[in-house]
Amino acid sequence: MAKAALFVTCLVDLFEPQTGHAAVEVLDRHGWQVEVLGNQTCCGQFAYNAGHLQEARAMAQHFVEVFESSDADALIGLSGSCTAMVIHEYPDLLRRAGQSRGDSSEESESWALRAQAVGERLVEFGEWLHHEESLPLPAVKPETVAVHHGCHMRRILGSTEETDDVLRSYGAQLAEYPDAEQCCGFGGTYSMTEPVVSTKLADAKRTALSQAKAAGASCLVSGDWGCLLHLSGRMQHEGDSWPVLHVAEWINQREKMSAKKGE
Amino acid sequence: MEHLPQDPRPWPVRRDTALQDTVLQTTLTHVTHRLNNARIAAYRHYPSGEAARIRAIARKREAIQDWSVLLDRAEEEITAHGGHVKRAATPEAVGAYVLEIARQHSVKRVIKSKSMVTEEVQLNAQLEAAGLDVRETDLGEYIIQLAHEKPSHILAPAAHKNRQQIQRLFVDTVADAGEEVSEDIQELTRFARNKLRQDFLSADMGITGGNFLVAETGTVVVITNEGNADMVTTMPRVLVSIIGIEKIVQDWDALEDIIQQPALSGVGQRLSSYTTIISGPRARESWEGPDEWHVVLLDNGRRKIHGGPYQDVLSCIRCGACLNVCPVFQQVGGHGYGSVYSGPIGTVLSPLLGGMDAFGELPSHLCTMCYACQEACPMDIPLPHEIISLRETAVSERREPAAVRTQYRLWGQAWSTATGYRRSVTAARLAQRLAIRRVGLAAGWLHTRTMPFVSSVTFLEDWAKKHRRGSS
Ligand code: SF4
Repeated sequence: MAKAALFVTCLVDLFEPQTGHAAVEVLDRHGWQVEVLGNQTCCGQFAYNAGHLQEARAMAQHFVEVFESSDADALIGLSGSCTAMVIHEYPDLLRRAGQSRGDSSEESESWALRAQAVGERLVEFGEWLHHEESLPLPAVKPETVAVHHGCHMRRILGSTEETDDVLRSYGAQLAEYPDAEQCCGFGGTYSMTEPVVSTKLADAKRTALSQAKAAGASCLVSGDWGCLLHLSGRMQHEGDSWPVLHVAEWINQREKMSAKKGE
Repeated sequence: MEHLPQDPRPWPVRRDTALQDTVLQTTLTHVTHRLNNARIAAYRHYPSGEAARIRAIARKREAIQDWSVLLDRAEEEITAHGGHVKRAATPEAVGAYVLEIARQHSVKRVIKSKSMVTEEVQLNAQLEAAGLDVRETDLGEYIIQLAHEKPSHILAPAAHKNRQQIQRLFVDTVADAGEEVSEDIQELTRFARNKLRQDFLSADMGITGGNFLVAETGTVVVITNEGNADMVTTMPRVLVSIIGIEKIVQDWDALEDIIQQPALSGVGQRLSSYTTIISGPRARESWEGPDEWHVVLLDNGRRKIHGGPYQDVLSCIRCGACLNVCPVFQQVGGHGYGSVYSGPIGTVLSPLLGGMDAFGELPSHLCTMCYACQEACPMDIPLPHEIISLRETAVSERREPAAVRTQYRLWGQAWSTATGYRRSVTAARLAQRLAIRRVGLAAGWLHTRTMPFVSSVTFLEDWAKKHRRGSS
């Protein structure tokens, strides 16, 4: 049995644990053994993007130590953005941060290589599912949903097609809306240090999404809780209770519905 | 000292002014979407364009790397054709040189084609202060000159104005008494053309920028969509071309690939509508062209960038593609940046040229780190990483409020161990219970968005509990 170590991400762990549980159920249905490393924390992206290089380094080193201790066949990340951070930013971050605090170049380089090795085993949830064979389950009735891909999933991982395909294979009809590739304005701690622009962008996204809603989308689905917390936080503040779901949750719901139908 | 003009209004004022300007909000969305869609379509219809773009990047990077040799070569060539070269370190040096030439030739009236570098050195203000009449001849620049404003987009300087405002402006500034001015765009353009014709005919000096300086032949190349540079370079007696030293290109072979990029990425055309080529003053046997040609090569902080971690920004061809895709630019427009260079490229270039004291807030406050600029940039300039690097500089220079710095430090320390992380969960729950939520960074979130609560059982806590039970 193949084994997956789950990279839960801090947002899922702290605020949206049901996403983690959903991912575990999906992995389980697909025949994977799930490992959850209890000492994982956060990838450090919030600090890295804000220019706090040394804080980011400390978190990155912790991440590398935690995940390299696992012998899992794959590391599966529940956020496109955090997955991109580990795969694409860690090696260079660790090199630069080591250099700027005066570590020897051998030491920085060794951290960079360790990070690279961890990154090579890491895959984002939607991408992972894209490579899985589909379950022999009966199809259930299609559902129209709106999808928002985080910018790093789109532009750093470049894996939005995979997630779209997966969602469609589970009977999703993806409602179109204008400027779908536009940033929602979250931006990590940018959402807190520049709330005015960040909120304006959330509102622009909500206006665009209203077309998807009008086209019958039952909910907003994304592979990133960063964007979703920002957008749903804005929606709730404005008295709008349109549901938002992580891809893993939506998929889990669909698999459950199919399984029930098959009984 | 080198410097960059700066809008004295602080960022929150610039931001809020832009967000409340309903005309700007409409025109900006329109302009950025139009240009961006044109760019995407242009590359789609030009399959071999990608190969040209890749070659353009390589050649431009090489040209920047070898710029000293190439600039010397360009200078020799220009001089050999009878042109004059002036190396200027600062905006004042440019102004002083141009004024000196104007004095020698008894120049009264100056016409200009569009040039960001003359905006950078505030040439118009310098010349006007000395009593010269200066007229911008690019339509967008003409509009903002009449309105006494700064460009709001590096390619479309009047992107913040609608046609009703332009009509009003023409009536208030240049229309003769009782002259009718229509709101129709074609009519407005025709009106401006007619007015400008008089300026073209009476000007003694022409001033251009330059998109490229070809070292091999000492040629300045100016691309426009209006053809006004053709008149600026041929009609007046004296011609001055003012060029940032990073515009250097080694030869015509390289130029062939590079010159396509601003057209494709900027306006979505294979080639700009007009390409003006200047290789020297009027030869004895020809009847057209200026008597004298001066080329001013401006440094103003560029040499300091060369050889350092930001050298790639010197490859920028000012196409404006990064502005059109930037979510923040789409909200606040060029004036939000308080610098003549706006958008993602301005976010990087302004602090590099004008210093962190003046422009240090741009990287922190005008970027969501969405990477759209990097995706759009034809020259593959790693703008997001450069912005992160500038944020790192701001942090290491302690430009953030102390409380924010402390919060990041404690947060980073706590979350680099499992114990610290668990403790912070406990602390967050306690704060929630005591309803202390409007603290530190979180306060910024709460004004406009509902804040999620830390779950009563986090995922990791739940897992630990179940698996402890399971294994015992
Ligand atoms: S940074 Fe790139 S996209 Fe932006 S203006 Fe320069 S060349 Fe164009």
